[in-house]
Amino acid sequence: MTSREQLAWAVVAAPAVVAVLVVLAPRRVVTTLAVVGAFVTAGLGLALGVLAFRSLSDPVVGRWIVVDAAGALLVSVVAAVGLATVLVSPAYLAGADSSLGSAGRRSHTYFAVLYAFWAVLLAVPLAGNLGGAWLLVEATTAASALLVGFSGKARALEAGWKYLILTSLGLGVALLGIVVLAAGIPGGGIGALSWHALATYSSGSRSALVAYVLLLAGLAAKIGWAPVHNWLPDAHSEAPPPVSALLSAALLPAVLLVAWRSEQALAPVIGTRPGQDVLIFFGLVSLAVAVPFLWRSLPWKRLLAYSSLEHMGVIALGIGFGTPLALAGVAVHIAAHAVAKAVGFYAATPLVEHAPRATERAVTGIARTHPALGGVMGISLGALAGLPPSPLFLSEVLIVAGGFQAGRSWAAAATALLLALGFLGLAHALLETTVGKARRRDATRRRGVRTLAALAGASLVLLLGLSAVALWLPGSAFVAALLKGIS
Amino acid sequence: MSGALLWMLAGTGVTVVVVRRRSVAVALVTAQALILAGFALYEANGAGDVVAAGALALRAVALAFLFLLLVSRTRELRPVHARVPPLLRAGAAVAFALILTWLVPFLGLDSRDGERVVLALVAFGIVTSATRRATLFHVLGIVLVENGLALAALELPGGASLTIELGVALDLMLVALVAGVFHERIFAEFGAGDSAALRTLRD
Repeated sequence: MTSREQLAWAVVAAPAVVAVLVVLAPRRVVTTLAVVGAFVTAGLGLALGVLAFRSLSDPVVGRWIVVDAAGALLVSVVAAVGLATVLVSPAYLAGADSSLGSAGRRSHTYFAVLYAFWAVLLAVPLAGNLGGAWLLVEATTAASALLVGFSGKARALEAGWKYLILTSLGLGVALLGIVVLAAGIPGGGIGALSWHALATYSSGSRSALVAYVLLLAGLAAKIGWAPVHNWLPDAHSEAPPPVSALLSAALLPAVLLVAWRSEQALAPVIGTRPGQDVLIFFGLVSLAVAVPFLWRSLPWKRLLAYSSLEHMGVIALGIGFGTPLALAGVAVHIAAHAVAKAVGFYAATPLVEHAPRATERAVTGIARTHPALGGVMGISLGALAGLPPSPLFLSEVLIVAGGFQAGRSWAAAATALLLALGFLGLAHALLETTVGKARRRDATRRRGVRTLAALAGASLVLLLGLSAVALWLPGSAFVAALLKGIS
Repeated sequence: MSGALLWMLAGTGVTVVVVRRRSVAVALVTAQALILAGFALYEANGAGDVVAAGALALRAVALAFLFLLLVSRTRELRPVHARVPPLLRAGAAVAFALILTWLVPFLGLDSRDGERVVLALVAFGIVTSATRRATLFHVLGIVLVENGLALAALELPGGASLTIELGVALDLMLVALVAGVFHERIFAEFGAGDSAALRTLRD
């Protein structure tokens, strides 16, 4: 076993162990244990990412574990967002007045489920087998549904229920696609569905395409692609804010990676173009559905949720275009979206304390009544809108250019148009939210703002760094490794 | 798998779509899973296959216990009527199954009849979840889909992997447990396990 394989197992094992320890620990040390565990887990995840980035030409491709360029990117993102999520969670728990479990064990329950979710989430990009990846994605559903409904309030229960049922049914359809693939692989069985083995499917390209469509249609329900996205705005807006960040910034792109790997692995059987067409379809529909909502006056977290729908659509389009430029855009987009979206959701905890009706209606003029919070929300929304020099602006330019490079001019033009419309909607929301007409608000409570401000500062540096990376990335060995996939 | 067993699986599936009582539906999906476990045991070629069949049977019994416990703990004061009448539900389920069979012409399983029943169970599960208001029926719809997929795994030419079989069973039990937690909380919050009450989140 190589050092990267050992580290990959450790990355998954560390949060799983912390989940158990949190359950057993006395109440007074739970938060400390969770924070220490987060630094250890994130440290291991980022170390694996660095090691993988340094060995791009020699990825680990085993039957159960894969450590390649795309996996390293996702593991790094999930590790970093997970760390920040744990760091901001104490502020959320301090203000929580209800939960699914007993009040006395609220923090035990929260951190145990959060760590279980994080452990499975870290394992998804490392799965070396389509069947294994499906199991892990399904396992994220159970843990994250509990977190979505964690507050135990009526709306949270509704959102959690919708999420659980719709994604479980979707994953059932995906499993049907996997069974079809397993039936056509020589010496098959679902356990033999390593990413390499998918290319040996021998029952004909037509049935492989049917299986691929079933697989992607099922995964789409989990990724939140339109038209099977119904759970997404509800779950993201009703979950505790730190959990919403993990759902949007880490879960969605991690599941998207499974779709991406499937497309790359099945390309020799179904052809490159049909596989990409399905991704472009989901991408364009998601963008088209998201844009009208970005123009509406929505509560903060709901606005961010529709922005997730938009950005998952953009990433699908980038993968669908599949050129070096587009894939460079995809890499930057995944990382920058994670940073900007996570900070936006983290801001929701102090926002609700500052403006309690923020859960029900759009907020305006936050920068006038709470400059620090308004600044953080401005950074998040400005970046998500694609306001230059946001790395998301550069990644979107790369993806659209990649579309033209791929000879898909109509899809690229439609993408550019929809992105421009989305930008206008979010830019309007940015102005209204930060410097719009202010209401009278409670300015005394400042719980969690210091941690949030520190994270926002770090995020600003990261976002500017990613803008620089976006200029350097096209033509790099990293993009070549993304293009090659696990072949 | 023999034609009679396949007909039995399809028949119990469509009955779940139309039946009113939750406990009857639980009995039907459990019977389905036990038929599948019995067949898996009959076809077993080694210790791994026996363990996989055991996992399927254990999953069936554990889920039946969980669902019946939930039914007894959340007695509805009034029947939760479905949005769509039973005959229309059955018609929709059969039509959806036929459309799915037409759309997915070839699965590559051991028998074509087996493939049709797999697709029918998936269709019946989705229709059950989509047309019933009682929250427990939503979960039973998922179990129907998973029963169909368990049949598909048994009908695979290369056989199913033990690891994956165990994983799928474990995942389904986890999802059902979490659904149970939600079902009880929804019942406590709204006074009924009725998804019609869960309609406040709309744009």
